[in-house]
Amino acid sequence: MNGLEQFKDRNVSQNYYRVKIEPYPKTPWERFKRVVRRSLRLELFVGLKITLMEMLRFKIHTIQYPKEKLPISPRYRAVHKLLRLLESGNERCIGCGLCEKICISNCIRIDTRPDENGRKIPTEYTINFGRCIFCGYCAEVCPELAIVHGQDYEHASEQRAQFALKEDMLTPLDKLKEQKEYPGFGAPTPAADKLIKKTPLAY
Amino acid sequence: MVKFYIDGKEVVANRGETILQVARREGIYIPTMCYLSKVKPIESCRLCVVEVEGVEGFVLSCQTPATPDARITTDSKELYEHRQNIMKLYDVNHPLECGVCDKSGECDLQNKNLEFRVDSQEFSARDQYRPIQDWNYLQYDPSLCILCEKCVHVCNEVIGDDAIEIEYGGYKSRIIPKDAETLDCTWCGECVAVCPVGAFISKDFKYSANAWELDRIPAACAHCSASCHLYYETKHSSIENPEPKIYRVKNEFEFETLCGAGRFGFDFENREAKKDEEAFKRAIEAFKRADTIKFTSFITNEEALLLQKMKERFGYRLVNDEARAYQRFLENFSQYSGKSLYTPSLYDIEDSDFIILMGSFISSDNPAVRYAMTVSQKRHRSEIVNFHPVEDDLLKPVVTKFVKHEVGSEEAALSMLVDILCDEDAKKRAGKEWLESFDIGYLSAESNIGEEEIEDILKRLKMKKRRGAKRFTLILGEDLYTHPRAENLAKLAGLVDRFSEFDVMLIPPKTNTLGVALICDLDEEEGEFSIGYNQKGDFTLSALGDGDLDMPALNQQEGTFTNIDRRVVPTNVALPYEGYVLNDIAKELGVSDKEYTIEYTKELPKEKGYKEIEFDELDNEFLNDGTEKRGYELEIKKVNLSRKNIEPIEELPEFNGTVIYRCEPVLQFSPFTNKAHQLRTKGKLYASETFLNDLGLKEGDKVNIQKDNITISIEVERDGFIASGAYLGRFDKNIDTESLFKDYRFTEVKIQKV
Repeated sequence: MNGLEQFKDRNVSQNYYRVKIEPYPKTPWERFKRVVRRSLRLELFVGLKITLMEMLRFKIHTIQYPKEKLPISPRYRAVHKLLRLLESGNERCIGCGLCEKICISNCIRIDTRPDENGRKIPTEYTINFGRCIFCGYCAEVCPELAIVHGQDYEHASEQRAQFALKEDMLTPLDKLKEQKEYPGFGAPTPAADKLIKKTPLAY
Repeated sequence: MVKFYIDGKEVVANRGETILQVARREGIYIPTMCYLSKVKPIESCRLCVVEVEGVEGFVLSCQTPATPDARITTDSKELYEHRQNIMKLYDVNHPLECGVCDKSGECDLQNKNLEFRVDSQEFSARDQYRPIQDWNYLQYDPSLCILCEKCVHVCNEVIGDDAIEIEYGGYKSRIIPKDAETLDCTWCGECVAVCPVGAFISKDFKYSANAWELDRIPAACAHCSASCHLYYETKHSSIENPEPKIYRVKNEFEFETLCGAGRFGFDFENREAKKDEEAFKRAIEAFKRADTIKFTSFITNEEALLLQKMKERFGYRLVNDEARAYQRFLENFSQYSGKSLYTPSLYDIEDSDFIILMGSFISSDNPAVRYAMTVSQKRHRSEIVNFHPVEDDLLKPVVTKFVKHEVGSEEAALSMLVDILCDEDAKKRAGKEWLESFDIGYLSAESNIGEEEIEDILKRLKMKKRRGAKRFTLILGEDLYTHPRAENLAKLAGLVDRFSEFDVMLIPPKTNTLGVALICDLDEEEGEFSIGYNQKGDFTLSALGDGDLDMPALNQQEGTFTNIDRRVVPTNVALPYEGYVLNDIAKELGVSDKEYTIEYTKELPKEKGYKEIEFDELDNEFLNDGTEKRGYELEIKKVNLSRKNIEPIEELPEFNGTVIYRCEPVLQFSPFTNKAHQLRTKGKLYASETFLNDLGLKEGDKVNIQKDNITISIEVERDGFIASGAYLGRFDKNIDTESLFKDYRFTEVKIQKV
């Protein structure tokens, strides 16, 4: 039994049954009689019975949003985050431009320049969220796991652009400890260590 | 002609062609890492090996000419493994920084690693500390360097600077400046262009863009008359500013060479220009009032034609002194050579066995000619004789004989050449008066050209001829066109072209001087009210952004130039331009009925050799075998020979006291190069060490240069590239050099220290 049996049974009509529908009222008189009958039989409360009973029993299944939130998949792709290195707090992004290249809706742009130590740094990083389709390619292609998708799906603002600048996406330095590693597309797989071949060193 | 087979395909090699050259021409792929078409095979990578049937082991295809009926295999299992191992060796300790490397995306090492599926490494070597070197416009990272030696060879064999070499030291080997602490060269940047990896990079471009984001616009360089083929590479300026900006210039480095001004002087556009309707109205009024249009040759052929049409309609005088001088010289030359144009091209110079250069400070006047001469010298040891009053140290590695003559004695020098190069017929043609005035003793004494020097040239020429030399070229420059005796000089040059085996080339001084000289009917004298186009006039149109009405710079225009190879080359729009163009004015005046300027390309004068071809039909590329497919070549027409005798040689002018020369420093050509952010500099008096010592000056001193009632205050800079003399440039528009040098390129001045 591999769980596929139910899909292999294509005789879908076996559990069908005919619903008995009483004939529609034809004259206004008949229609009036139906209204009176329905009102006096209190059919409304038949439907409400379950609701009322559950309310009295205090066994509530509703998620109390926004007090309560459902856990979402780690692979959920919400508004992007730019991560920092945990030890030094330096930005992870090296400005290689691969996300800019791979973006299929062409909504990422980076400005880069050499910094005072001669290293390449991104001076500005933007995503046009009006065009972003949240496909996750940028996170997948990123060699440094610097651009990732966040988990935060609640974004309301007056303008989409307000999520799109580098300072909005970058982990603030004081919240470095709260920064979580991204497990979604592009993150190392659990077996990654076994796949690595070591380059020989002469010392 | 050798017939043989590559991978079963029948191919034919010309004499001396190697297997690789034939394969490339035929479109058969053989991988290489160190091969560069324009230099001799370097043979450092051994990736180009092929198998030849019946021959033990592999054969280097880059240096082996094919033998008849040889059967060559370019790919097999053994070859693949051999090449894969080479790539692994290249990868030993190569920093894994592709993510930030400027070359990533267009890197030969990346490409070949992927091609030969290098995914693991067995080899190792101890890594060395090799710090990054910072050399002015360039940066060199030894740890990225794969020591293919392309840069060294191109610097030596094509540029002629010979500024870098390899410091051998096993795994520590690296590129170092030759015989110097730091690199001091002409900054052509060709080492950056040929570098297959990111070892040599341009400091300005570093980390500003990735190879794959840039849009490539094929164009022609707008700075000098060589109009080299190049690509402007553009991208949006920044996140805030979506306007495109030129990030760098690339060239087809396999086949042609760019100088530093072309490579680093790319952002000379007129950026802020907008459609200013008021200014346009004023311009139209000025055109209605004017009787003269003054302009420079930094315009396209189509614009020149528009100016000519305006002249035909309204009778403007077209004034362009430098093009007028060239035009007159060319006309006089034609009447004695029988051809409407000169014949040699830069390719002919590369193939020449004997070159005489006169009247040009070539390393700054036209670097492409210098590179062509270097190629000829390195490839087949040609003799190069240079006649000039200023000693140019940059030409030292190339020039085999330098003849220093007195300022102003070009007529004597050219006459002496006519005497040794031409036969009796030519002298008869020159006429009795000229022959009688040819007093070699007097000329030699006055011009300071020793008779033994001329004999030496003749000896060298005879020696070359004995060794089977075929091609001889005489290259003449702007000194002669501006010379008071230019007319006679042109006639003498015509005689040389007609009566000797020497072909004469006349270097056009500015980008489109040849085009302007052919298309426009130029006038000598200015009228009362002038329109200046890129020149100061009563109403100024300027592409530099400092005039009364803005015009597009040459990287914002499409059109054609007529270059030194007599080729009509197209150039395209790299950057947007929102202002008015010359065609708008012509339309307003009722001269033009076309929407775009380039619709005039097919209307260029056919009687001057232009062809009726639409702009959009013009090619702008190089083929696999290096054939230049750019535009078309002008047709050379027959010209009726003049029957007049050549005038007798005049008494040589005397230049006493302090004499300065007019030429631009290396990396500068015009105010346009000086507008580019990398090349921007203040104009100075550039002087040699001897000149400084003679006048008791030091570098950094302020001096007053006086001539008649003109005084120019200027700083002095020592120029290590010249061994004698001093010069002033015209690239700094704040310095009024024009008024000092009215015609001839040398002038007598008084220099006083302030």
